[in-house]
Amino acid sequence: MIHFLKASLHEGLLNIREKLGSFLVTLLMVSLSFMVFDIFLVVSWNVGTVLSDEQESVGIELFLREDISEVEAVNLADLISVMEGVRSVYYVSSLEAEAVFRADLPEQADLLILLGPQFHLPSSIQISLHPDYRTSGKVSGLARTVSGMDGVKDVVYGQEYLPGLTSAVDMMGKLVVLAGLVLAISLSLIVANTVRLAVAKRALTVEIMSIVGAPGWFVRMPFLGEGLVTGIIGSAGSLLLTGVISSILSSSIPHDFLPGKWILLVLLLGASAGAAGSWIGMRSGIPKPRS
Amino acid sequence: MLISFQNVSRFYNDWPALENIELTVEPGEFLVISGPSGAGKTTLFRLIWMGDLPTSGLVEVSGYRSDRIRKGDLSSLRRKLGIVFQDFRLLSERTVFDNVALPLQVAGYSPRAVRKRVFSLLAEMELNHRRSSYPHELSGGEQQRVAIARAMVAHPVILLADEPTGNLDPDVSKHVIELLLEINRTGTAVILATHDPRQIPAGTARYLYLDRGHLANPVSWDGYNQL
Repeated sequence: MIHFLKASLHEGLLNIREKLGSFLVTLLMVSLSFMVFDIFLVVSWNVGTVLSDEQESVGIELFLREDISEVEAVNLADLISVMEGVRSVYYVSSLEAEAVFRADLPEQADLLILLGPQFHLPSSIQISLHPDYRTSGKVSGLARTVSGMDGVKDVVYGQEYLPGLTSAVDMMGKLVVLAGLVLAISLSLIVANTVRLAVAKRALTVEIMSIVGAPGWFVRMPFLGEGLVTGIIGSAGSLLLTGVISSILSSSIPHDFLPGKWILLVLLLGASAGAAGSWIGMRSGIPKPRS
Repeated sequence: MLISFQNVSRFYNDWPALENIELTVEPGEFLVISGPSGAGKTTLFRLIWMGDLPTSGLVEVSGYRSDRIRKGDLSSLRRKLGIVFQDFRLLSERTVFDNVALPLQVAGYSPRAVRKRVFSLLAEMELNHRRSSYPHELSGGEQQRVAIARAMVAHPVILLADEPTGNLDPDVSKHVIELLLEINRTGTAVILATHDPRQIPAGTARYLYLDRGHLANPVSWDGYNQL
């Protein structure tokens, strides 16, 4: 078996050596196609990071009626803390709210003095949510539930921006998947066409191999290997090119490059597109012996 | 019995390339099949190596039946056959050594075994000095000898030679025919398709005549002289 594999590898190398020029052109084409995708991923990653930071801060703030005692407020907080989707709750007393106000807005601290000793900032309960619950629909549903609870005066949860944020995050996720699919298909077609040309160029070799008794997989393996190598090297080349562009632009447009997982994903996508392309190319390209 | 054709027909659309062929070939036999162009000689060969299957009837080659052959069996069958073509079909980007070694490599022989067998065969066929040459650097006769070496390297039980002298001058043709006779003397069955059966010395072969897809009754060498 090892001799079989060695001979098959040898065939694959012969395949590449005999048409090195067109192999390099294909690599360049695959790299450039992937580079468009990589740039899209870098932009998506950075926009996604901003959006998820925003989403991280999504929560609900319950302002309580003034006649609610601290004990009642703490009981209410306990009740909310066991509700579905709630990660944690934090009770902010009127005194703590004032202290925060003074610390966060020292230049407006005089305002509290002007309003007199009878004025108190309302006490509140801050609700932090599980990541899955930080969508517009779920937050508003939970907000509706808690707003009907006894002692609640008002509910704030970012009603103005949350629907837009949720749909932007959704759309970004879908866009990445869609672009990935479109690119994988188009790259497969590019690689498939290249392999088909390779098969056509090596029609006599394929024919003679078949006639002298080469098993089908022995004939197909070099082409499959070529597709895989093209996909992996092409996608790695695209990452390199994108990395260079990214580092040139990083001083004028601050951003992060792709994380390790995404880099691996690009390489895997390259390998898959290459293998799929070879498979398509072989199915349509391997000739039947003519006589 | 090495090869058997039982009432075999092969149609391409409605055109009969071969019709109702009955044929048997015994181990070690030398069979000469002649006939004009388009008579069906190449189709007959394709049916033997199962590059094509009959429209009706049954072909059996070395235990492999056309009605039961699976894709995976084809490579095993073809390793028992050696095939030589009129246009040599050598791989132009490979040396003589690599061309001859190919059937052994695809059969999974070790590089050492491949070298040993190929060197020995090239020496037998007086091609050792050409082992690093490329096909375009060889004469027609040398190219055909390389093609025969490639066909014989894996010790086939049947050698199919489809017009092997068609592109060669008479002297070189004679040498190639002598080579085929020598191969036959070692026990390999040889089936030779040729326009000119008189290349084969009388008494050394069985002769068949194929015309428009029909196999004529066995013809003697004398019979050919009268054709």
